[in-house]
Amino acid sequence: MKSRTFLLTLILFLFFFNSGILIVSTITLKNNLAGFKDQSLREHYFIVSSFVKDVKALEERGIPHEDAVESLYKSYDHFYSEQKVIITIALDGKQLFSDVNHHTFKPSETSRLMKSNERHVLTKKIDGKEHIIVEGALPSPYDRYTFTYYYDISTMLHSWQTMTMKLLIAGMCLGGLLAICLFFVLNRIFKPLQEISTVSRRIAQGEYNNRITIKGKDELAEMAASFNHMAEEIQNKIQQITEASKQKQQFIDNLAHELRTPLTSIYGYADYIQKVVRTEEDKLFATNLIMSESRRLQNIANRLLYMATSRENVIERENIQIKELICGVKQSLSMKANEKGIELIDECKFDTLFCEADMIHVLLVNLIDNAMKACEKNGMIKVSARIENEKKVISVQDNGKGMTAEQLNHITEPFYRIDTSRTRSIGGAGLGLALCKEIAENHEAELKFISKEGEGTTVKIIFTTP
Amino acid sequence: MAKILIVEDEIPINELIKRNLQSVGHECISVFDGEEALNEISKKNIDLILLDIMLPKIDGYDVFQQTCGVPTIFLTARNGLTDKVQGLKLGADDYIVKPFEMLELLARVEAVLRRTKKVSDSFELDGLHVDFPSRQVYLDGDLIECTPKEFDLLEVMINNRNIALSRDKLLDLVWGYDFIGDSRTVDNHIQKLRSKFRLEDRIKTVYKLGYRLEV
Repeated sequence: MKSRTFLLTLILFLFFFNSGILIVSTITLKNNLAGFKDQSLREHYFIVSSFVKDVKALEERGIPHEDAVESLYKSYDHFYSEQKVIITIALDGKQLFSDVNHHTFKPSETSRLMKSNERHVLTKKIDGKEHIIVEGALPSPYDRYTFTYYYDISTMLHSWQTMTMKLLIAGMCLGGLLAICLFFVLNRIFKPLQEISTVSRRIAQGEYNNRITIKGKDELAEMAASFNHMAEEIQNKIQQITEASKQKQQFIDNLAHELRTPLTSIYGYADYIQKVVRTEEDKLFATNLIMSESRRLQNIANRLLYMATSRENVIERENIQIKELICGVKQSLSMKANEKGIELIDECKFDTLFCEADMIHVLLVNLIDNAMKACEKNGMIKVSARIENEKKVISVQDNGKGMTAEQLNHITEPFYRIDTSRTRSIGGAGLGLALCKEIAENHEAELKFISKEGEGTTVKIIFTTP
Repeated sequence: MAKILIVEDEIPINELIKRNLQSVGHECISVFDGEEALNEISKKNIDLILLDIMLPKIDGYDVFQQTCGVPTIFLTARNGLTDKVQGLKLGADDYIVKPFEMLELLARVEAVLRRTKKVSDSFELDGLHVDFPSRQVYLDGDLIECTPKEFDLLEVMINNRNIALSRDKLLDLVWGYDFIGDSRTVDNHIQKLRSKFRLEDRIKTVYKLGYRLEV
């Protein structure tokens, strides 16, 4: 593109510039020639008339006109030959006095046919030199004589040629200068484009943080700005995608682990029954384990299914008595709480909540269940429904072992467990809080975790819609 | 037999491995986290460690670095190549991915024990004496002639004693995958072992499955 523009501009410039020079010089030449021709005609007329006058005067003195013509011609020729002008005279087309003048000119062919008062102007190359030739017959009674006037214009032509040459050379020099200037100008114009292409190539190769430096306020700067914007967007999108795929990979890894562990037990114990077991007691032990591990798998499957469906289902909300809801949750957990010796306290500061009761039930059960896992014996869990900053908030507060900030960041990820070994000694599949997050999102609510190691955790469900 | 430490936080899996290893005659110690594992290693003379990688308190790799050269087989639920490579690079003797088959586990344990010479060279049962390095079998002190395949079969039965082995599995283990023959071959050889080495009561036929050497 750049080189094409460069060549095209240069060629067009040279073409028009040189054509201009040629046209101007041709016109000058033509004008000059016309001027010289006019001048020659006048000169011819003037010489002829004075010549005839002189011949007449000599004839009146009784000198025969042939002699008069001869002597006059000689003096005229002598006089004019000093002015780069040659004159010849012919009688009936035959050159006279060719011995007198030193010129070897031949009379023109047409001179014979000349009538008096008729004159011809032409240019002709004689002796290697360009001449303007004016031919004309003398007026009667001397009309048998043809008078020819030669004017040498070779100097003029030569100077014209030199001038044209000089102009052309100047044109070439200007062309060269133009080429250099054009090169720099084009370089400057195309530089942003080049930068855009390098940057876009880099971006295509995966260096997404490349940007174009923006200079000025022209169209190119605008384009660079929108290009940068595009690059920014691409970078963000790529980052999001990478993040998402990382999370997905993590999820799949975790899922594989979660499925493999119970499967190992189930397969192993079935194998054990088939090949090793000889007593009823062993068989019972193995079958029990197979059953409990199968239940664990089922649990995971249910949760995953629930998460998958809750993501797509539109929830049916209605106004629920918050007291009833919390009572229901307490009831379903009271047995477990009693077993562990944990006290459940509730507090209601508002009456109704616009939600899907079953979902919020699951959410609260999960949160309280987690709280119970964190609590020691004689722990205390407080469920309260309050209004904070004009928003309805349900919070679950425990006085258990709490979490670190790092752990807080991950707790809503599927399969995340505080205990890195993923031990199931305190139960659960690691999907509880991921599910809670889904439910909260479905209710346009926000889950907020506040925790301090050793002091306990508070989970707040903040409903953004009334 | 060998003393094996099982370090696995999943109680059912730990119990499963223990039961299987015990059935072939190993002595097993079960622990459920890294700390306990290090305690046991420092206290007792352990021949082999079966070590899970994801453990509470101290993870498997860290435990392994403090085992002072006790042969170790890693157990993991992850099939990732990096896990395997890291385990083996650290100098683990083998690597088992969950879920695994019991026979595979036993075979690997046996292989590591044999390589590290932690397993005895001979086997005694009711006056029968089997010497593995010289491949000789004595009954009440008398050398009994047997074919190579008979000896191989006997060795497999002894290594997997108390475990039922199907005829197909026996064909695989003794004759190899490319052997063209049917389960009758196994039956014939079992009959010969029974009569030659007085094992009629010891090698039991397991209904619809195969045979088991009961000790």
